[in-house]
Amino acid sequence: MIDILGQKVYGDVTVHDILFVVLMMTIATIVARIVTTNIRRALTDKMKRDQLELILKIVYYGIITIAFITVMPTLGLNLSGLLVAGGIAGIIIGFASQSVVSNLVSGIFLISEKPIKIGDQISVDGVAGYVEDIHILSTVVRTYDGLYVRIPNEKVFTSSITNYVANVARRFEYVVGIRYSDDAEKAIQIINRLIDEHPFALKNPEPQIFVNELGDNAVNIVVRIWGPSTEWYSIKTELLWKIKKELEENGIEIPFPQRTVWFANDLKLKNNEKD
Amino acid sequence: MYGYFDLSEFSAEFDSVRIRIESDGFYRYIRESPDGKKEKIILTKDGRIIINPVEPVNLPKEITNFLLIRFKKPVFIEPKTSMEVNLTFPVEIGVFLAAKKRVDVIDIFSLQKPKYTLYGNPRMGIICRYWESDVYSDVPDVDGFREGVMRLRITNSSDEWIEVTNAVFDIFGMKIYYDTMVCSSASMNILSHKVAETFFLNQPLREGMKKALELYTSRKIPVMKKKFVMEWGI
Repeated sequence: MIDILGQKVYGDVTVHDILFVVLMMTIATIVARIVTTNIRRALTDKMKRDQLELILKIVYYGIITIAFITVMPTLGLNLSGLLVAGGIAGIIIGFASQSVVSNLVSGIFLISEKPIKIGDQISVDGVAGYVEDIHILSTVVRTYDGLYVRIPNEKVFTSSITNYVANVARRFEYVVGIRYSDDAEKAIQIINRLIDEHPFALKNPEPQIFVNELGDNAVNIVVRIWGPSTEWYSIKTELLWKIKKELEENGIEIPFPQRTVWFANDLKLKNNEKD
Repeated sequence: MYGYFDLSEFSAEFDSVRIRIESDGFYRYIRESPDGKKEKIILTKDGRIIINPVEPVNLPKEITNFLLIRFKKPVFIEPKTSMEVNLTFPVEIGVFLAAKKRVDVIDIFSLQKPKYTLYGNPRMGIICRYWESDVYSDVPDVDGFREGVMRLRITNSSDEWIEVTNAVFDIFGMKIYYDTMVCSSASMNILSHKVAETFFLNQPLREGMKKALELYTSRKIPVMKKKFVMEWGI
C-alpha cells in the first residue's frame, strides 16, 4: 500500500506535514474568531467602537501570526528565510500591483494619522456618511441613505476629508427674516430664550443673534448657535421650527417676498380704453 | 422619597413628576410628568426598587461625563492656602431595580432643566453639563430633589492670588450621599492661573448619610483616571 501521508512534497516536507499545518491554521483561525467574539461581547458597551475594532484586529491577526510562526518549521521554513523571501516577494508584488501597494501604504498612514475613526461622520470624494470600517486597503462608508460604499484608501488619503465630528463642537446658522414693521429686538429676545431653553445649544461659546441685513423684503436676523458635534443636526432641526412658531405666536411674521409696483399712468386709463 | 422600596404598591411624587408601580400579572413602572408618560414592564418575582440621586450628566441623553460648575461670583484665594466653600449641583434622580444582588437603572429623571457647555476650544475641549452656583460659606438649605450641596476644598498651591470662576469635574468617581439632603465632596488643587486639578472625595457632609448607587463605575471599565486637570482656565 502506498503511504500517501508519508510522501514527500518538497525537501523533507511530507503530505502529513502540510495537512498538519492546514489543520493548525484552521484551528488558529477558529480560536481567533472565538476569542474576538468573546472580547467583542465583553467590551462592546465599555469601549469606543473604533478602539474596540483596533483591539479585535490586533488580537485576531496576532493569534494567526503566532500560529503561523509556530508551524513554519514544519514546512521547512525558518524566520530569516521567510523575511528574505518576504522581501523579494514584496518587491515583486510591489511592481506587479502598484495600486494595491499604494492603497496599503495609504491605509497604514490613515491608521497612524487618524484623520477619521470608525463611527465618524465624514465626507470624502463626494461620499458622505458614517465610517463603518477602515481596512488595510479600503475604507467602508455607510451613506446617510444606508448605502455601502467602499473607497480605496489611496483615494481617501489623497482627497480632502471633511470630518464632521472630529472637533467636539461646531456652529450652525439660520437667517430669520421678519417684517419691517416688527420689533427686531423683541424677536432677538424670543430667539435667545428658545436657544437658552435647549439643553444642547451650548452656553459657551455663546450664541450670536443680530440684525445682519435690511433686505429687500425682510429685516434679516442671523442666528449662530454652537452645539456638540454629535447633536448639532438635531438641534438645528428642532430649533428652527420652534423659532418660527414662537415668533408667530408673538405677532412677528416671516414675510413672503413682495414687490411694490408703481404704474407710470393711472390704471383708470386702461378702463377708459375699454369703454 | 429616596431609599429602598418593595415593588408592590409603590408610588412617589417629585413635584410635577409622579412615579408608580402597577401590578396586573406583571409589574409596570409608570412615570408621568409634564413631558408625557413613560411606561416599562418589569419581569421579576421579588425585586425591589431603589431611588437615589445619580451623577448629573445623563439627561436628556448621555453625551459627556464632565460637570462644569460656574461660580455666580468669582472667588479670590490667597497663595499657599486651603479653604472650603459650599456649592450646589443639579440632581438627577435614578430609579434602580434590584434582585439577586444585581442592580440596574430603569429610569432617570430630573426636576432641573439640563444645559451643556464647552470647556476649552472646539478642537481640544470637552462638552460639560453646565450649572451655575452661588458660593456659600455654610451649607445652604436646598431642595434635595432639585439640588445637591458640594463641599469643595480649594487649595491654592501657587505663589499668587488666584481668581476662580468655575470648576470642572470628571464625573467618574463622584460620590453622592443622601438623607434629607443630597451632597458630595470634592477638592480643587490650583497649580497656576490657568491650571487646576479636581477630584471627588469619598466623604459625606454629616454622619449617617447613605451612599447613592453610582452609574459611572458599573457601566465602564474601572481604569479611568479619577483626577481631572483643568488646563483651559479656571
